[in-house]
Parts: sequence; structure tokens; C-alpha cells
Amino acid sequence: MNAETVVRAVNVARTFGAGSNAVVAVHGVDCEVGAGDLIALMGPSGSGKTTLMHLLAGLDTPTVGTVDWPAIGTRDQLRPGPIAVVFQAPSLLAPLDVLENVTLPLLLQGIDRHTARQTAFAALEQLGLDSIASKLPEELSGGQAQRVAVARVLADRPRLILADEPTGQLDHTNGCAVIDALIAAATETGAALIVNTHDHTVANRLDLHWSMSDGRLTTKVALPC
Amino acid sequence: MLTLHPVRTSRLYLSWLVAIARRRTGRLAATAVGVALAVGLLASLGAFLSASKATMTKRAIATVAVDWQVQAQGTAIDPAAFTSTVAATKHIAAVETVMFASTTGFVSTKASTTQTTGPGQVLGISDQYRTTFPAQFRALTGATKGVLLFQQTAANLAAQPGDTISISRTGLSSVTVTVAGVVDIPQADSLFQTVGAPVGAQPQAPPDNVLIVSIATWHQLFDPLTAVRPDLTHVQVHVQLDHHLAADPAAAYSDVSGQARNLEAQLAGNGRVGDNLGATLAGARSDALYAQVLFLFLGTPGAVLAGLLTAAVASSGRDRRRREQALLRTRGATLQQLSALAISEAALVATVGSALGLGVALAVGRIAFGTTGFGATTSAAIVWSVAAVAVGLAIAVASVAVPARRDARNLTVAAARQTIGRTRNPRWMRWGLDFMLLGLAGVVFWLTSRNGYHLVLAVEGVPTISVSYWAFAGPALLWVGAGLLAYRLTNLLVGRGRPLVAVSLGPLAAGLSDTVAASLQRQRRLIARGAALIALTVGFAASTAIFNATYRQQAEVDAILSNGADVTVTTSPGITVSPTSPAAAVIAATTGVRHVEPIQHRFAYVGADLQDLYGVNAATIVDAGRLQNGYFQGGTARQLIATLAAQLDGVLVSAETVHDFQLLPGDPITLRLQDGATKQFISVPFHYVGVAKEFPTAPHDSFLLANATYITKMTGNDTVGAFLVSTAGNNIAGVADALRHQLGTSATVTDLSTSRTTVGSSLTAVDLDGLTRVELGFALALAAAASGLTLWLGLTERRRTFAIAAALGANQRQLGAFVWAEAAVTTGAGLGAGILSAWALSNMLVKVLHGVFDPAPEALAVPWTYLAAVMAITLAATLAAAIAAIRHAHTPHLELLRSL
Repeated sequence: MNAETVVRAVNVARTFGAGSNAVVAVHGVDCEVGAGDLIALMGPSGSGKTTLMHLLAGLDTPTVGTVDWPAIGTRDQLRPGPIAVVFQAPSLLAPLDVLENVTLPLLLQGIDRHTARQTAFAALEQLGLDSIASKLPEELSGGQAQRVAVARVLADRPRLILADEPTGQLDHTNGCAVIDALIAAATETGAALIVNTHDHTVANRLDLHWSMSDGRLTTKVALPC
Repeated sequence: MLTLHPVRTSRLYLSWLVAIARRRTGRLAATAVGVALAVGLLASLGAFLSASKATMTKRAIATVAVDWQVQAQGTAIDPAAFTSTVAATKHIAAVETVMFASTTGFVSTKASTTQTTGPGQVLGISDQYRTTFPAQFRALTGATKGVLLFQQTAANLAAQPGDTISISRTGLSSVTVTVAGVVDIPQADSLFQTVGAPVGAQPQAPPDNVLIVSIATWHQLFDPLTAVRPDLTHVQVHVQLDHHLAADPAAAYSDVSGQARNLEAQLAGNGRVGDNLGATLAGARSDALYAQVLFLFLGTPGAVLAGLLTAAVASSGRDRRRREQALLRTRGATLQQLSALAISEAALVATVGSALGLGVALAVGRIAFGTTGFGATTSAAIVWSVAAVAVGLAIAVASVAVPARRDARNLTVAAARQTIGRTRNPRWMRWGLDFMLLGLAGVVFWLTSRNGYHLVLAVEGVPTISVSYWAFAGPALLWVGAGLLAYRLTNLLVGRGRPLVAVSLGPLAAGLSDTVAASLQRQRRLIARGAALIALTVGFAASTAIFNATYRQQAEVDAILSNGADVTVTTSPGITVSPTSPAAAVIAATTGVRHVEPIQHRFAYVGADLQDLYGVNAATIVDAGRLQNGYFQGGTARQLIATLAAQLDGVLVSAETVHDFQLLPGDPITLRLQDGATKQFISVPFHYVGVAKEFPTAPHDSFLLANATYITKMTGNDTVGAFLVSTAGNNIAGVADALRHQLGTSATVTDLSTSRTTVGSSLTAVDLDGLTRVELGFALALAAAASGLTLWLGLTERRRTFAIAAALGANQRQLGAFVWAEAAVTTGAGLGAGILSAWALSNMLVKVLHGVFDPAPEALAVPWTYLAAVMAITLAATLAAAIAAIRHAHTPHLELLRSL
């Protein structure tokens, strides 16, 4: 891999529970993601995709093996900023309006309020969401909410974007709009993008296809451009 | 639509209950705690109220020396036959015949001096009388049988045991008897009452001159008088009842007065009943009603608060419940099924909460009162427990089932998913209900506290008693109105006042202050509700505590007023004690005595009125007698006593005397006092300098206060009437016992600790103390729950929000900014509003319940320790909830992240 390595997993395993109740969610995974990589992570439900995403995002720690982020730094330096996560369900903060939601990660980084609002508004404009900047999350459709979540990522300009089934609850049109926004955000910022999806249409929009089965990363395929 | 077989339906409900019990354990438990608090409080207070009423009845019975005095009407009645008729009546335990004869006076001749009294009474009693009615006479000096002289008569005649006195008989020659002993008649008022006086008639003062002889002697002395002047003698039968009475004073009063009327009917005009027990129970029924009033005043808000708390806890899970309902509805659940699920949940909460509440009540009874039933009968305890459980069930249904059914009926699936919403202010806010309630509170208070208002009206001789329940409306409206106003102001503060909040949060939230303020603004209804709940709780707890403290303060003042000091030594009649006599030295030398203040006590004639005159040392009496400003009119205690000190022949008189004699400050007033040497009444000039309304040990109606040195100078007599002994509040009972031991029968020793239990009403002595302990304990629990529990549950409900913020990279301090801001605004606004409403409520409560205060308080007593405890518990609960929420938020569970 030529690009700068954003995240690297070596012989990573994650086990939940202990003894006879132990469940091995991820087992012996080795992978490396470079800046600008657009990866579709596929596999049946329960194959360990979300757990791997959490490990790569630094939201969880492996039971065995190591995950490191060479281009970013230590685990403490991952958020806010370098790594952004888009969840399956709407992940906007209910008491904040759209603009405040998009502004929040910037404020968490210590960026001053005026700059943060300008940046956030620009991200909303870029995704055509500026007209709903003052709406509350509960006033949005599911597609709009996910696109606002993507705008939040775009404003944050992360090095790695992890999207966990971002179109899982959306219809085809809205799903496409969200994937378009994610790819645009990654391309715009030069970030790596990993999308966990069951949808081949979505996967086909991305350069690399990784497959998981029973907790193992089985195939890594590069689609022809 | 789901259509299920009944068995399947019941399984569905059971599965639902098992599931929420397992997965919503915390919320279910918190809701049950709210119900438990209401059930526990009501069961405790209710059982306690029943026990208190029973105690009042017992105390009332114990204070009466003679239950009934049945007086024969007419002159040709045989005393023995009359006594037999009375004794044969039902419910009578013992009877004694007492003969009365009027005399024109007594004469005592000693050496060259002769003392003469005015008219008096001679009583004839049997040898068993003092055994049957031990409280009627109290031996002071000499023998306990034979010819006994009333202490005031002994003082008037300067007579002692062994002296011979002459009894004047109208139309007959005088007879002489030898005094065997001197006695006090503690209940002289009732002993010498006018039996059969019309209801509302002014009570007659008991005679100053009384002699008691054996019944045989009486017949020997006065049968001749009966023969010539039968109108000057009469017979009474004194009755002790069996005392198997109802526990409630009102019911006991009804029983006893009914029995008295029944006896009068049986006597068919030949006898009238002086119902002393009924009269005392009539007073106790007022106390019982006051206790009931206090129960309503103090207990009802507690139960309401517990209900509101339950509703707040239940509604903090409302969003989740709405989402669950939406899910069930999309699966085809009917309104009926959703309602049934909600009712089953309410039933579970009510069952668990009631069991817990009754357990708490039992524990409180055991710990605070040493008995699980609070001293109430088993049936009363069961009745109150059942009533409390019924209230608990109502609270559970109102706070869990009713909102769930309302949501299920009114909300669309989409609306149910909404959690914040740009909803309008509640209707009551738009209508200004809080302002209306506060205005009404003022109007009702004004209407109910005007002159002539009586909270409890128990008319003498009338079996029914009434309470002005309308008076409750004032404080109740104020409390509710203040709670709603706290909601409005908090809502306004975090809504319109968002910029101000953002600036205020600067030090706490740094760059996130605007975002945090925005978050608070959108959640203002939740925050305002929390603040209102805290305001209501603090208002309730603090006003109750202040009222109770003021009540205790006045009870203490009343006790001091009655007893005079920590320990009071009253010299016995016939014994002359000067401030420098050995007895005074003995008192001063007793271990534990800090200060001894001698007080002179004389009787002085103001015109034809005989009044008590107290001679004081103006330099020391204010502190030694703990004189309150309320005892005087036209200035403070120090000012009036200083005025007295400035004029040696000055005298402070009662307002009634000022009115009767049209006195102006500086007017000369001549009193007739007994000369120390000649024992004759002599004229002594004084000048009126001010009005005294109360004085320790003095009667309420009329007395005089003058300089002891002047009285001594003008009468040549420095005899001390009483010594006010200060122990600085330490070991009062021990010092009193020591003085009793050392002084023997030469003086009567009374102490404050005994006085506390006998003065005023039984309510003063016992009941409020217990009520206070129960209530203030529950108030602390409510304060903790209202602040900490509701905040924690509200924050827990937003774990998802915090998990998102944590996933976005918010560190612990940044997450803390959201939590601390919410906690600070909610608790700060709640405490502020609560303190203000407590102040207003306390003043109103004291004014509305002025009937229980005697004397009226000069100022509210503030129990700072308890208020600090309320504040500390509220803040500690808030801190604990916030810290737990922040820790929880910073390390979100993976299950939560996976649900995003």
C-alpha cells in the first residue's frame, strides 16, 4: 500500500464474555487502511463487522493483538477530529439544531465558535442542507438526519471515516444521497472511508471490498476502476 | 390488529411485567420509591394521629381531679339517698358525698392581733375522699386529716397548724376549730363551680377562704345552719367514672356528656351535673382537631409531593415508553391492549411501592416511637395502612397508567418518536394559573385571617366541633402557585434568558457554553419541572420545619411563663422567707444552680379588685425571668423594666386595669397591701408607668408588677413568694429533685421539664414532637429524591445523547459541562424558589394556625441545622447523580454504541 497508513490491525481478536459464555466476535484480523482508501466492509449479520469497525475507530479495545493509527497518533488522539463515525441510526443530539450538531465536534476540538459555525455551515451548504440548518433532529426525515451526520463528518475533516450501515434504515434514493455525501466528504478531505454495508449497490460505489465471515476477514478485493 | 386468546393475553401482560422488571429495574424501583414515600408517610402520620388522639383522651382524663360534681337541687334532699341514686347509675366507678356550707368569714386571734377574712366555704368530706380523689387536695404543711385550711386562707389569717380559728355562721354563734394542716386546692375553680350555670356564663372566682373538715364535724357544725338557713348549705356527690371511653377526644366527650345528661334525666330535676371531665375533653377535642389540621397541613403536601415525584420519575421514561408504544402499535397492538399493559405496570409499581412504604412505616414506628403501630390500636393502624395503600395505588395509576393511556390515545406513531419538540407552553402557563393561584392565596388568607376568625371552633356545651377547612386553601394555593411560578421562571430563564445562561456558564463550559445553553433551552420543560419539584419539596420541608420550630419555641415560652424559670421554688404559706434567709442560701448553694432570683408575691387591692402583686429586682429580672418583649405593651421588656427601675414607686399594670381605671402614664394609683407587722391592709401610693401583659407564674388576666425594694420599704415585709432558679438549662430535673429533698414541705419545687409536659395542651407536650420527627424525616427523603433521583433518571434517559457526544470525542470535562449545567440550573432555581416560598409559607402558616400558639410568637424560629441538612441533602443528591451520570456517559456501554 502506497498511501500513508491511517489504521493498522495486527492479529486482532475481540471476545465478549468469558468461559462457556464467551463469544468470539472478531478473530485473527490483519488489515491496513491507507489515506484515501474507499472500502466496503461486507458480510452476513453477526459476522463481526460492527465490532471490527469499533476496534478500528478506537471505541473498543482488542482482547488479543494490536490496533494502531500511524498517521494519527495514540488512542487518546483519535477524537475529536481524526476519526469520525457515522452510525446506522440517526446519531444527532436531540436538543441541538442541525447547525449546532455539525458545529459540536469542532467546538469539542477547541475551535472558536465563530469559525466552527462558518465551517459547519459550509459543510451543510456543500451537501445542500443549509436550508434546514435551524431545524431540530426530530423534524428531519431519516435521510436528512444521516446526511447531516455526514455533513458533521465533512466539517470535522477527519483522516478516517467509519460508516456503520449508514443506509440501513433508508430508502434507495436517500441511501444513494448519503453514500454520495460520504464519498464526497472522503474525496474532499483525502480521508480513508470504510463503509459497513449489506447493500451491493452501495459497495459497488467503493474501491475495495472486504468480506467478513465468523469474525474473520476473509477476502480483500479491489474493484476495477 | 392483534387478537389474542385471553390466556395468551394474560401471558403477554405477564411477559411484559417480567421484562420491565428485569430490564427497567432501576426505573421501576425509583417509581416504586415515590409510591413508597407516599404510602409510608400517610400510614405513619395516620397511625400517629390516631395514637395522638388516644393519648389526648388519656391525658385529659388524668388531669381531672373529679369527673362529675352532682349537686342536689332543693333543700329537702337526703344526702345518703341522693348519693345512692347517683352511685346506682351506669359507668360510675366511685362516689363520695361532699357537704358545702357558706360562712361569713373566719377569724384568727394570735397574741394581741386578730385577723379576719371575708366570706368563705366550709367543706365536709369523708376520710376516704382523699384516697378516691387524690388530686383534689395537696398537703402543704401539717396533718393530712382533720381540719385543713386552704393556703390562701392560711395566708390571710396568718394561721399555721395548731392555731385555733373561729368560723362565723349566719344567724348562729361562731364555732372554733383547731387547724391540723394546710392544703392547696389545685382545681379550686372546678370544685367551687356553679353547677348548672348556663352555657357561656362567666366563671366565678373560687373563694379565697376555705376550710375542710370531716363530714361528721361538718354535720355537727352546720346541721343547725341547714335547719335555719337551708339556702346556705348544699350537698354534692363527687363521681369518678369507669373511664372506658372512646379513644378520640370528640367521641369521648360525646360519651361523657351524654352520660351526664342521662343522669340528670334520671334525677328528674333533683340534681345537676357539673361535668368536669366533659369540659376537659371538650378542650382536648379542640386539640385533637388541631392535630388533625396539622396532619392535613403537613401530611397532605408530603403525599402530594410523593405523588409528583412518582409522576416525574415515571415521565422521565416517557420518551422510551412512547417509542415502545409506537413499536407495539406498528405491530398492531390495540389501544385496549396498550392501556392494559400500562395498568399492569402501574399495579406492579403500586404493589412494590405499597409493600415498601408499609415496611418503611413499620420501621419508622419502631425506631422513632418504639412501636410499629405508633401507639395506635391495631384496627386504627390497619385502617390507615389500607387508606395509605389506596392512595399509593391512585398515585401509581395517575402517574404511570393515565399518561400511557393518554399517549396511546392522542399521539401518532410519528409524534410518539419525538423527544424534544417545539411545543407551546402548557395551557396553565398561557392562562397564568400560577398568578391566579397566588392572588387567590392572598385573598383567601386575608378573608380567613381577619378579626374573629377561628380555625377550630369548639363551642362549650355543643357536641359538634368545626374546622375552618377553608383556611387551608391559603397556604395550599400559595404552595402550588409558588411551585408553578418556579416552573414559569425557570422556563423563562433557560428559554428567553439563554444568552444570560450562556454567559453564566462560561467558567463551567468554556467554548461549549452556547451549545450547552442551547441544549438547556430545548430541554427547558424538563428542567423547569425538576426545579418546580425541588421548589415544592424545599418549600414544604423548610416551612414545616420553621413552623415546627416556632411551635416549639412558643411551647418553651409558654412553659417558662407558667413555671417562671428552669426551677421555681414557691414558699409555702405561713412560712416567712426573706432573700437573706437560710433557705435562700440553701437554694443558692445547691449543685447546678447558676442564679437565684427572689420574687415577692403579695395580694393587693386595686379598688375592690384583689390582684396578684409581684415585687421584682429590675436590675436582674429581665434575664433571670427570661422576659419576652411580647409580655409587655408599649415597648420591649428591657424598656418597660427600665422605666420601672427609674421610678421607685412605679407599677406596671394589666391592660384591663388601665382600661377599667382609665389610667394614663404617670397617674397615681393607690394599692392596699398587707402590712408586715400588723397584718392589716394599708394604703400604699404608686405611679402607673406601663402595661404588662404576662409575667412568669402570674395569672393571665390581671396582676401588678412593682419594685421589690419599694414594697419592702412600704410594708416592712421582704418575704419572698418564689425563687426563680436558673440552671442554664442543665440538669433541670436533677436540680429540682435536689431542692425538693433539701427544702422538704417548706416549699413547692416545680421545674421546666415537668412544666413542658403539662402546660398548654397535650398537643404542645407530645404530639407535634412526634409529628415533626416523622414528617421532617420524610421531607429529607423527598428532598433527596426530588433532586438526585429525578436528575439521575433524566440524565440516564439521555445516555444515548451522551454516548453520541462521547463518540464524537467529548472528554469527561466537556460531557460534564452538559450535566453540571443542567444540575446547577435545576437545583439552583429549585432551591432559590423553594427558599422564597418557604419564607412566605412559614409566615402564612404561623398566622393561619395562630390558634395553636400561646403566646403568639414575636418572630419565626428558624431551625438552621435542619434547613442546612435539607440544603446539604439536596446538593449531595444532585452531586451524586451528576457524578454518576458523567462517569456513565464517558464510558458508554458497547451495547449502547451498537444501537446507534
